Amino acid sequence: MRAIVVLGRVLDPAGIVVNRRAGRIFVNREEYILPPADRCALEAAMRIKDATGCEVIALPRALFPDDDVLRQALAIGADRAIYLSGRGPDCADDAFMASVLAAAIRQLGGADLVLTGATTLDTGWTQLGPRLAEILDWPQILDAWQVEVQDSMTVVQAVVPADGGYALAEADLPALVTIAAGALKLRYPNGVRLINVYRGIGAVAEALERWEWQTLLEERPTPVLERRGQEFPPERERGVRVSGSAAEMARAVAGALRQRLGR
Amino acid sequence: MDISYLDLLMAQQEEFAAEVGGGGGVWVVADVVDGALAPVTLEALGLARTLADSLGAYVYGVLLGEGITALAQTLYQAGADGVRVADDPLLGRFALEPYLKVLSDLFEQERPEVVIFGATPQGSALAPRLAQRTGGGLIERITRASLDEATRTVVGAVPIYGGEYFELLACPAARPQFLTITPGAFPAPFMDTRRRGEPSSLPVEPVTPRVRLLGVAEGFAPPPLPLKRAPLIVAAGRQAGDFESVRALASVLGAQVAGDRGAYDAGWIGREQVVDVRGTTVAPQVYIAVGIQGDTFHNAAIEEARYIVAIHPDPEAPIFEVADLCVEAQPAQFLPELLEALKSGKT
Ligand SMILES: Cc1cc2nc3c(=O)[nH]c(=O)nc-3n(C[C@H](O)[C@H](O)[C@H](O)COP(=O)(O)OP(=O)(O)OC[C@H]3O[C@@H](n4cnc5c(N)ncnc54)[C@H](O)[C@@H]3O)c2cc1C
Ligand SMILES: Nc1ncnc2c1ncn2[C@@H]1O[C@H](COP(=O)(O)O)[C@@H](O)[C@H]1O
Repeated sequence: MRAIVVLGRVLDPAGIVVNRRAGRIFVNREEYILPPADRCALEAAMRIKDATGCEVIALPRALFPDDDVLRQALAIGADRAIYLSGRGPDCADDAFMASVLAAAIRQLGGADLVLTGATTLDTGWTQLGPRLAEILDWPQILDAWQVEVQDSMTVVQAVVPADGGYALAEADLPALVTIAAGALKLRYPNGVRLINVYRGIGAVAEALERWEWQTLLEERPTPVLERRGQEFPPERERGVRVSGSAAEMARAVAGALRQRLGR
Repeated sequence: MDISYLDLLMAQQEEFAAEVGGGGGVWVVADVVDGALAPVTLEALGLARTLADSLGAYVYGVLLGEGITALAQTLYQAGADGVRVADDPLLGRFALEPYLKVLSDLFEQERPEVVIFGATPQGSALAPRLAQRTGGGLIERITRASLDEATRTVVGAVPIYGGEYFELLACPAARPQFLTITPGAFPAPFMDTRRRGEPSSLPVEPVTPRVRLLGVAEGFAPPPLPLKRAPLIVAAGRQAGDFESVRALASVLGAQVAGDRGAYDAGWIGREQVVDVRGTTVAPQVYIAVGIQGDTFHNAAIEEARYIVAIHPDPEAPIFEVADLCVEAQPAQFLPELLEALKSGKT
């Protein structure tokens, strides 16, 4: 059995400052992190590997340069990791990436399970997984908190939010499962693997490959998104006092909370 | 808007429709929760109406489910010009494949210009699959939208890192333009009770869902979020009066409970729940300070909170200098009123 885990990288929010008045983002420390939901997807992949002995291959969520993200996956225990490199379109969006990933999976000879984070950290978007599942014509289980592959290796089961609680969902393999941020705690990397992968020594270093994405597809997929700039919210206005009777104030606060929380 | 302008717009739309085939239009796919329309569906209709009026297009609502046909009138009242209903026991519970089948057949025929979903679990499952299937673009979780009229393109504002700033994104070349909207971000539309209509029904073919729900996940509880990463915190201070009301408020909101040093000294919370630069700093979407005076150490620890509500009897309390919304009241008297207002759902 083969599981693919799709991992992204995101600018560490702690290293950037958004200046609303200047309408600019200052990147003080350009450091990338594995987004929280993708960390959980990697852990889910490792747990399935522990239980079934399956092969785990890490693929990138975007055409990012060779950096730490996939090395982390190898240090933690992935069997292979493949950067997809080459010059991409100006906006390598999820529609574009889903096509490239589907082609990479085809090139690998297929897979039984694809895992990825349910949401991205920066945009909170969810579409890469379902778009990929659509191209592969696979079932999708979204926002899972736990994943298990049954002994027969033909069925995947996952705990998903449902009706205000949690339910068990099941699909036949092959299937795509996205993992909720905060669902699982990522284990620590193995020390020896970590050193070897960074020093480029031995089998674990050789497990890091690089494929030119253009070689995977006959036809260049077209991105659909276009960036039209950025907008900055107004400086925050502090100290709005509510007035009236206790009941009136309570209604005002309840209304403000409902609006902030979107419910 | 004068009529000749409207005629011109309608002519333009027909031209566009002839180009792409189908009738175009702005479509809203409803979210039905416990037999009622989710508020986000009405908000989506409000946005659809605004976009359609500028485009000179019609607004259509789509309802899927079982026993939901009567809800169509609410969609008309909220601004739909036409409603399509797939009312069938096969659609009684949301499942991807049966819902996808109905919608992709419909959209293949109608070729919408814009399709709006709520950014809910249902919308987030359907919209990307439909976008991929139809070659459409998808802008997710938008909180504002404008129209580039020359190219009939919607520009959506997407909050980044929870709203630190917004990316403006568009899908100028792809049709349909799928959008999911953040619940609560768009105003509810004016409900015109005189509007009514005759919904038409959509064919429903039996399609087996490929994901089977096996019932409640017995014994599963999600791991607790560390306070540092909690999105919603209710914190108590010495003036909170009664800690049980603080707990009740947190439970109604699904928030984590915390406090300042005073709450720790009073034995209400554990050490790891103390919000203080020397202890835990927090960055929630909403922080509610109940009876917290707000000393330097506490206030510095909540700097990253996106929205702060402070409830305190002393008008001079330093917490009011950092709060966004200030309530000068005795927490013991105010909290029961707030709980009542939150539960009754009236604003
Ligand atoms: C909605 C959306 C999401 C995307 N998500 C990703 C993704 O997760 N990973 C990825 O590799 N590519 C992503 N991309 C593609 C990527 O944005 C562009 O290809 C890339 O940003 C081009 O960057 P640049 O350095 O050439 O120029 P610019 O975009 O001008 O960047 C200049 C500097 O600002 C930083 N920066 C740019 N945009 C942001 C931002 N939004 N927030 C914080 N800092 C920023 C950059 O890191 C860089 O240091 C996304 C694009 C879109 C439209
Ligand atoms: N539109 C965007 N929304 C959110 N984050 C973005 C966006 N564009 C770029 N980024 C971030 O900026 C970084 C640029 O990546 P790169 O092109 O690899 O230098 C990515 O890691 C993204 O996380």
